[in-house]
Amino acid sequence: MKNQNFGVLFFLMVLGQVILCNFADFGPYVSLSLLPAMILCVPLAVSTPACMLLAFATGLSVDWLAEGIVGLNAASLIPVALMRKPLIRFFLGEDLITRSDSFSFKKYGAAKISAILLIETLIFLSIYVFLDGAGTRTAVFNLLRIGVSLACNYILAIIVTNILTVDDRK
Amino acid sequence: MRKSNLIYHLINAAIFIFLEIAALNMLGNNGSIQGTWISRGVQNFMGAVWGGAQSISDYFSLRKKNDVLAQENFELRLQIEQMKAAMPDFIPENIGKTGSTAGNYRYIHGEITKISNNTQHNYMIIGKGYEDGVTEGAGVITGKGAVGVIDAVSRRHSYARSFRNHEMNISARLGKEGAVGPLTWDGKSSDGAILKEIPHHVEFEKGDTVFTSGFSSIFPPDIPLGSVGEARIVNGATYEINITLFEDFGALRYVTIVENLGKEEMKELEEGR
Repeated sequence: MKNQNFGVLFFLMVLGQVILCNFADFGPYVSLSLLPAMILCVPLAVSTPACMLLAFATGLSVDWLAEGIVGLNAASLIPVALMRKPLIRFFLGEDLITRSDSFSFKKYGAAKISAILLIETLIFLSIYVFLDGAGTRTAVFNLLRIGVSLACNYILAIIVTNILTVDDRK
Repeated sequence: MRKSNLIYHLINAAIFIFLEIAALNMLGNNGSIQGTWISRGVQNFMGAVWGGAQSISDYFSLRKKNDVLAQENFELRLQIEQMKAAMPDFIPENIGKTGSTAGNYRYIHGEITKISNNTQHNYMIIGKGYEDGVTEGAGVITGKGAVGVIDAVSRRHSYARSFRNHEMNISARLGKEGAVGPLTWDGKSSDGAILKEIPHHVEFEKGDTVFTSGFSSIFPPDIPLGSVGEARIVNGATYEINITLFEDFGALRYVTIVENLGKEEMKELEEGR
């Protein structure tokens, strides 16, 4: 079963991310982002190259609208799109990709979905934090920022995944 | 199936690299700190790649270098033995030091860290600077010829104008006791030079060796430079002779910087006149 409103929800979440960037400041150690989970939830029928293009466009849109450094979100999000299918294949199996089916916490269990979410978010944050610091911050600061942001983003990612994926066993 | 999989992965990789480069380029253009950081990273990466390629190339030319060094060692040992035989009580003072003095010249061994060979104004960067005693105006030689002149010196490096540069000429002599004229690069080939202003009455043959004359304050005399090739008379008065250089500038790596210790004195004398 497919989420018929995915496009609308995705667009609304991009707006949500822009608002988050512009109006929410949680200090230097917390960077909140809905983007990695959003890219992970792109329907599996969408190929990896198309998903990378979507990630690039989404990242640039957020960078422009949020008055950030143009290219920062885009550069961090493209590897998330590249790793999406390999991670799903590893944790949830090839069958899901062949059927282009959707996944959810209920269908595959919290542990497997959480593992994928955490890895994708970690990839995004690692690139984001190191590019944002550009060698001016210490490694300890960067690692602390990644750790704290990962914990906060995990909660956001669960919410985003629940909204964007359809559980046909409901 | 496997082939189509491979193509699919290659397309993915190509799109990924293209998009990532585009994003990083935008990031570099929009964030000043990021721009500096990324360009430094790219430079380091290119340096590592260039250094790696150079190391591989050096490794494969080791055999040739060894042969050349062995031959050079043999000739030097022979010269030492001949000197010992001629002067049994002579013990050189500076053997083993970085810069060794012999006669009126001081010699410093150096390694080329960068060389340009493809333009009309070629140069080389040598990994020895004023900390090692290198001064502006010193000559750069090898066992096979004079290859340049030091133009600028920093703490650990020096910039030398290559012999393969239109602004460079060396005072050369036909044979050890023949006529003297300026030797310049022919501007085309990697081992071609032209010896000019040789009077038309002077006799020479194809294959004769050309040496440094010693009539300059830069290079010591009698360094072999190349061998005589075709010659032509210019304006009915002098010869222009094609010279095939002994040194292969493409394989140049180790050089000796030579400084004339009496250079300043000669300069003062010239200025005084």
